[in-house]
Amino acid sequence: MAENWEYSVFESDQRIVAHSRYYAGLMGSCFYKKLRDEKKILGVRCEKCDKVFWPPRSTCGQCFSKLSLDSMVEIGPYGTLETFTMVTYREPVHPRQAPLIYGIIRLDGADTGMAHFIDGADFEKLAIGIRVRPIFSETRNGNILDIDHFEPM
Amino acid sequence: MGLVEYEQELISIPVIVDVPYRFAAGKYMTKFLTELRDNGRFFGIRCPICNRVQLPPRVVCAVCHVKNREWVELSCQGTLVGFTIMYLPLTDPTTGKPHEPPFSYGSVRLDGSDSVIDHFLNVEPDVQKISVGMRMKAVFKPREQRVGDLSDILHFDPIPE
Amino acid sequence: MKRNVAIIGGGQTHHAARRHDVNQVEMVNEAVRAALSDARTTIDEIDAVLVGNMEFFEGCHMTDCWLVDGTGAYGKPGLKITTGGTVGATIVCAGVHHVASGLFDRVLCVGFEKQEEGDTGAILSGVAHPLFGRSMAGAAVGYFAMMATSYMAAWGAKEEHSAMVAVKARQNARKNEYAHLKLDINIQDVLNSRMLAYPIRMLDMCPASNGACAIILADETTAKDRCEKPVWIRAMDTAHNEQFELDWRDVTTQKSIFSRVSAARIYKRLGVNKPTDYFDVFEIYEPATWAEMVWYEDLGLCGPGEGFKLIENNKTGIDGPIPVNPSGGILSTNCIGASAMLRVWEAALQIRGDAGGHQVPKEVRRALATAYGGTNWTVLTALSRNIDD
Repeated sequence: MAENWEYSVFESDQRIVAHSRYYAGLMGSCFYKKLRDEKKILGVRCEKCDKVFWPPRSTCGQCFSKLSLDSMVEIGPYGTLETFTMVTYREPVHPRQAPLIYGIIRLDGADTGMAHFIDGADFEKLAIGIRVRPIFSETRNGNILDIDHFEPM
Repeated sequence: MGLVEYEQELISIPVIVDVPYRFAAGKYMTKFLTELRDNGRFFGIRCPICNRVQLPPRVVCAVCHVKNREWVELSCQGTLVGFTIMYLPLTDPTTGKPHEPPFSYGSVRLDGSDSVIDHFLNVEPDVQKISVGMRMKAVFKPREQRVGDLSDILHFDPIPE
Repeated sequence: MKRNVAIIGGGQTHHAARRHDVNQVEMVNEAVRAALSDARTTIDEIDAVLVGNMEFFEGCHMTDCWLVDGTGAYGKPGLKITTGGTVGATIVCAGVHHVASGLFDRVLCVGFEKQEEGDTGAILSGVAHPLFGRSMAGAAVGYFAMMATSYMAAWGAKEEHSAMVAVKARQNARKNEYAHLKLDINIQDVLNSRMLAYPIRMLDMCPASNGACAIILADETTAKDRCEKPVWIRAMDTAHNEQFELDWRDVTTQKSIFSRVSAARIYKRLGVNKPTDYFDVFEIYEPATWAEMVWYEDLGLCGPGEGFKLIENNKTGIDGPIPVNPSGGILSTNCIGASAMLRVWEAALQIRGDAGGHQVPKEVRRALATAYGGTNWTVLTALSRNIDD
């Protein structure tokens, strides 16, 4: 017995807008202040694993040792491009408008890498293993975009 | 002495998450919301086993695990089962528009329904003027302002004794 | 297959309005390290890590992944759980199932909320159904206020009664070094505080706290080998309600109220005749003072409509015959993701005799912890000093 259904499909467009604020913690604050005030990049050393992590963190994820502020070490400023890609599709959430290139950079002295924008060269000129340097922003606010991008040396 | 000084300034980073959604109402809610918007009518649905008239209508009775089929048009009148006077602004999260306090707000069980609707009460925000058990009547916004949402109801009016 | 499960240790942070000195990973790590130390266990001995909070409250997904450094979950199995206000206890429930199944021996359960970092109002609106009620979302205060007016109309309770609950909670919290709000208040202070939604005043509501709690569950062999005071989880029960059934605000409703259904089930399973005789202390999840009085009735601590008389006669004070929330409860500390776990942990501390300043002065053999969330569904946990009692 089929129902006589005379209603057209109903959909509702809505949004959720949430304002968050993340606290970096003591180590995170040191890291960002060094970026902002001195244009220096810090990692943190785990003695037990004999590794330097970037970005710095308070616990070694692998051996669970507590890492203190005293274990923070200056790394870079130069580094090696571990991998990269170009993003060509657009999303409102992207921090820069596509097309944009970003990659994982492992700074000298660190055992782990971090993602950041690559700029100042054509995509075709980039390759895994090339050397890169950070270009700092004129205005710095204490976040990772105090480094504007990395460019090939 | 380490590389780093133990300073007081603690860094924080603001982030905004702004996400659009498009919700499909599904068959039964489509009827409920369309009737609300176009005709100013409330529809519930009755379970064939437990006889609960469910509002909003849903395909399956959660208690009996059977399909609900019998539509029931509900009255626009009902009874107040709980109320409050809000001194906090209430913002409609779907529009961002705040409703300035103080205002009366309550839970109304429409005649014929087993569940309640929360909404504004068109009663002076005075504890002496509102009581559990009051009879209330839904007042709709004009047709052109209705979109198919509970906010198509403007508020509930008290029914004079 | 079902094995006995015990709490062999736990820890919590010092809950506070502001924790600018730590990020989420670090805050969680504080509780985890405290729990490992209390349990005399290393992270390597943990077989699985279960973590949870109020879903997306801080605007971060996949907390099980990005909190790995803090929880010590690197390389280990585990889950992220989000069940609203009940999540702390749901995590314990899941942990109990992991150990009881025989597949895991030692499970770390972590609940947290860095509430200051999130836009809780915006995210909480996401709890309401988008097509039926989100635009009218009354916020938690509004819902409890409506329950309060229904309760007053049904039974004749007065605003003074809710003030008594508020005073009990905050005075108890003053004895709890970890509690967030330690307020030396009296009834008049509560009645003078700002009205939020009639009849609920500022001091009738819980705070927004930053904090974490961690509990380590273990099998019987581990518990008996290394723990001097294991606390046995004798039973847990939960019951979901339908989404649209907001009738819990009408205290005279004839509908199934799942706190009562869940309580009846767990009492039957344990052979409880009178919960006030069976359990020595209760840690219940009360987001508002009025909710506590209704919980007294739902848990069968008194008859219907008598909840406000229990507080009036000081039966539920810290040195009363039915101590409820000697820790100060949710009214004093509400880091939502941890809150329900803190009820279990505080109940365990009472059984161990380790609650310090807020230890109830009588012998504690058995305790009941409750959790509350969303569409009025519950998680109840019965704990005991003895494995079979």
